[in-house]
Amino acid sequence: MGSLLKLTDTTKQFQGLRAVDAINLDMKENTIHALIGPNGAGKTTTVNMITGVHSVTSGTIEFDGHDITGMPTYKIARLGIGRTFQNIKVFPTMTLLENVMVGGHQCTKLGALRTIFDIRGAKREEEMLKEKAENILKKLGLYELRNELMQNLPYGRQKISEIGRAMMTDPKLILLDEPAAGLNPSERGELIKVIKAAYGEGLSFFLIEHNMDVIMSISDYITVLSFGKLIAEGTPQEIQNNPEVIASYLGEKYKQKMAEE
Amino acid sequence: MEKKSNTMNNKKRNIILICTAAAVVLILPWILTTDYQIMVMNKVLIYTVVVLGLNFITGLTGQMNLGTAGMFALGAYATAVAATSYGISPWIGLVLAIVMGLLVGRGLGYPSLRLKGVYLALTTIGFSEVVRLVAANWVSVTGGTTGIRNIPYYSLAGYVFDTQTKMYYLFAVFVAFGIFCAYRLADSKWGRIFKSLRDNADAVEMSGVNIASCKILAFTVCAIYGCIAGALYAHFMGYINPSSFTIDLSTNFVIMLMVGGLGSVVGNIFGAAVVTILPEILRVFENYYQLIFCTIVLVGAIFFPEGWMFAGIKVIRKMVKKLRKREHITGEMGGGE
Repeated sequence: MGSLLKLTDTTKQFQGLRAVDAINLDMKENTIHALIGPNGAGKTTTVNMITGVHSVTSGTIEFDGHDITGMPTYKIARLGIGRTFQNIKVFPTMTLLENVMVGGHQCTKLGALRTIFDIRGAKREEEMLKEKAENILKKLGLYELRNELMQNLPYGRQKISEIGRAMMTDPKLILLDEPAAGLNPSERGELIKVIKAAYGEGLSFFLIEHNMDVIMSISDYITVLSFGKLIAEGTPQEIQNNPEVIASYLGEKYKQKMAEE
Repeated sequence: MEKKSNTMNNKKRNIILICTAAAVVLILPWILTTDYQIMVMNKVLIYTVVVLGLNFITGLTGQMNLGTAGMFALGAYATAVAATSYGISPWIGLVLAIVMGLLVGRGLGYPSLRLKGVYLALTTIGFSEVVRLVAANWVSVTGGTTGIRNIPYYSLAGYVFDTQTKMYYLFAVFVAFGIFCAYRLADSKWGRIFKSLRDNADAVEMSGVNIASCKILAFTVCAIYGCIAGALYAHFMGYINPSSFTIDLSTNFVIMLMVGGLGSVVGNIFGAAVVTILPEILRVFENYYQLIFCTIVLVGAIFFPEGWMFAGIKVIRKMVKKLRKREHITGEMGGGE
C-alpha cells in the first residue's frame, strides 16, 4: 500500500507557542487513521495545516503524490480532500438537500453567463447534482429529511450531513474533526455505520476524536500527540498498552477498565 | 405521482402569474392619467434594475453594499459623456456602462475579500463619495456641479423614445430581461453558492470552491446592473448632475431591498415599487410626508424583517387556513344535524 498523506517535520509556530512540533506522519491508502491526544495537543492545528487554513511554519505535507504545502484551501480540496468541522459549519437557512448540493458545485462546469442562457444545460447539470446528492443522502439515511431546513434538524443529523457534503466532491480522503462530539450513543452508532460503509466503498478517513469507543472500534492506525509532539503511533492494541499514552492521555482508570473487560 | 402533479401545478401557476404581470405592465399607461405618474413608473423600472443587482451582493451573499449610488453614477456619466461630447450612440453607451460595471465589480470585489460587515459598508460608501466628488470637480469632462445637459433620448432605426409612455415600454423590456437574468442566476447553483457564502464561507471553501472569485462575481453582477440602470437614468432624465448621486440614493436602494425581502427576485420588484411610489402617495400630508414614510419603513423593519410582501402573504395564508377550518367545522355540524 502506498502512502496517501505524508507529513514530514511539519511545524506550526504561533508566536511564542509551538503548537505542532516537527511531527512525522505517514497515512497509508485505504485506512482509517486516528489522531488523538489531550486538549491543546495540536490536533486541530494539524488538520488546519493539511487543509491550508493555517500556513505551515516549516516542513512539508504531501497528499497522493502532490506537495500541498502552502496551497490555498480550495485547491487542496480539489485534489481530493474533504473535511468536516469540530463546531459544525453548515448553512442553516438552506434545506438539507441544498446543503449537500453545495459540496458538488466544484464538479459542475457552466459559468455564470452560460447558466443564465443555456437553459437546458443548466437544467441537466442541476438534475445531475440533485441526483448525486440524493444518492448520498440515501446512503447516510437522511433521504427522508432532504427538504427540511438545516436549522430545524437535530445536531447529530447536521453533523452527519457534513460528511455527505464532503462526499459530494468525490474525495479520496475525508478529515473528520471530532465527528462524535455532542452525539448521543445511538447517533454515535449511526456515525460509525456511515463511516464504515463509506470506507467499504474505498474512501479513507483521517479522524480526530476523543471518544475511545469510536476510535478503538473503527481505526486501523492511531497517532498520539501531546503538547505538539508525536509521542506514540501504532495499532489500537499497541496504543492502549503504551505506558506513555496512558500517562499523558488515557489515564490509569482507562487501563483498569480495559483490564476488567 | 403526487410530486409530479405538484410541479406541473407550479409551472401552470407561474405561467399564469407571468401573463398577469405582463398584462398589467402593458395596460398601465392607459390607467395612469398624467405624464407625471408614468414618470414615477419609469423611475420604478430603473430602480428595479439596481435592486435586482444589489440583491446578489447584499441579499444573497450577505455583504453590505452602500455604494450603489456610485455604480449608478458611473453608468450614467459613462454614457452621458460619450453621447454629448463624442456623439456616440446611447446603445454603445450602454455597452460602455456594462464595461464600467465589470471594472467596478472587480475593483470593489477585491477589498470585499478582506473586509467584512461595517468596514466593507464604509469602503463602499467611500467609493460612492469618491465617484461623486470626481464628477463634481472634473469640470472639463463632467461639467462639474452644473452637470451634463441635453443627453439624447434612446432611438431605434429613426424611432425616438421621447415621451414618458414610449420610454416606459422600452424600460419595461429592459427590466423584463433583467428579471429573467436575475431569476436564472439566483435560482441556479450560483445563487446557492452565494447563499452558502452568507451562511458559512469556510465550509464552501472546503468544498473546493474558489470563494474569492465567487464574491467578485457577485459584486460584478451588482455593478453591471447598477451601471446599466445609471445609463437608462441618464437618457431618461436628459440631465444629470452630481447631487443626484448622494448616499441618500444608496440607502434608498437598501431600503427597497429590505422592504421586498432579502434574496427574492420578485421581492426586489415589489420593494422598488413600494419605496418609489409610497412617498408620492404620501405627498397629501405635505410637509410631513418624509416623516410618515420613514416611520412606516422603520416599523416595517422591526416587525417584518423578512419583507412586507412575504409578511402579507403569510397573514393571508393564515386567514385562509382559519376560514377553511371554520367552514369545515360548521360543515360537520350541519352534517350532524
